Amino acid sequence: MNYLAEERRNALAAEYVLGTLRGQARRRYQKLMMESQLISETTWLWEQYLNGLGESVPPVSPSSAVWENIQSRLGFTDSEADNQKVISLYQKRSRRWRTMTGVAAAAAFIIAVLFGTSEPPVTVAPTHIAVVNNADAEPLWLIEVSPESLTVRSTAKLTERADKDFELWMVPANGQAPISLGVLPEDGRWDRATPAILLRPDIAALAVSLEPPGGSPTGAPTEVLYISPLVSV
Amino acid sequence: MEQEQLFPLLCATADGEKEAFAELYEITSPQLYAVVLKMLKRRELAEEATQDAFIKIWHNAGSYQRGKGTVLTWMVSIARYRALDLMRYHSIRNEVVLDAEDGPPDDIGPSTMATREQKKLNKCMDELDQQQRQAIHLAYFNGLSHHEVVKHLASPLGTIKSWIRRGLQSLQRCLSL
Repeated sequence: MNYLAEERRNALAAEYVLGTLRGQARRRYQKLMMESQLISETTWLWEQYLNGLGESVPPVSPSSAVWENIQSRLGFTDSEADNQKVISLYQKRSRRWRTMTGVAAAAAFIIAVLFGTSEPPVTVAPTHIAVVNNADAEPLWLIEVSPESLTVRSTAKLTERADKDFELWMVPANGQAPISLGVLPEDGRWDRATPAILLRPDIAALAVSLEPPGGSPTGAPTEVLYISPLVSV
Repeated sequence: MEQEQLFPLLCATADGEKEAFAELYEITSPQLYAVVLKMLKRRELAEEATQDAFIKIWHNAGSYQRGKGTVLTWMVSIARYRALDLMRYHSIRNEVVLDAEDGPPDDIGPSTMATREQKKLNKCMDELDQQQRQAIHLAYFNGLSHHEVVKHLASPLGTIKSWIRRGLQSLQRCLSL
């Protein structure tokens, strides 16, 4: 194979996938892909090279309207029976959360009293906090949320699990499935920009689950250990 | 989000099973949405791109093949192409509304789930010249064109094009080792 041709083919595929191939050139390239298997395959190769980058962006859950629109555009909503089946998938997962969030709300007042006034001043004052306690009411994590940052600190009471990770979840008030906020640090601090989902008004609680190393393999909590309300301060 | 988990869901989706598609959506939509939101910046456009991508995934599930990468890679590709189309369609100009960061999110730590391929990709990106890496990041994560990267990095167009071209060549050499 002509080396130059191969180099050119890779260069075009790479810039097509990257998105810097624009305008007329992009449209010509799309036509070439339809005509040539080799060009299609080179494009797939570059999709594999580059799109791993996209998989490193921290996930952000879209609003529920997105799924509703997809269903309606695909005509899923025409058949009531099918629709029910699809919806029930969500409900099955979220039912237990509704009962748990009731308990969490009851605990909110106590935590507000305990921590509301004793917080030392910080650079960006948190607007919301949550304290995740174990079964003996010993605090394991202190979670502070401001519009800019999310800070998580673990306490000395936390026992590390070498074979497991703890994952933090946001539990929506509408009973939908919890949304992952990431794997919690087992020692020290976790400072990051506040995920948009934590600024939503419809948060019922935060939850911590026990997961295999690296976090939930399914996108849903494996074993919920603790649940804590997010209280405004 | 492992291939072993997503592949059966995509196969069932190709067979027209709506529950499988719903589950595929539930698992992957936060990742796809995050990628297009970073590019498009505006929520309503990112939602539109996500919807369009999943419509396409539903219709084209049967055309997936292993040669196109993992299921997630294939889905991210579809979503990114749709976002690029929307940017063009809405004539989105990226020169002003850039994020403070020029690169990938900083919170990719050892605690996040990374496949072997991703680790290799990160290692190979790290080996690039800083300018090459920065230019590629701006194009990939923020969907910038050559001209927009020029404005952002304040270097001539020829230089930017060459950083990107040579960066991509080095990346391929490193990844195919």
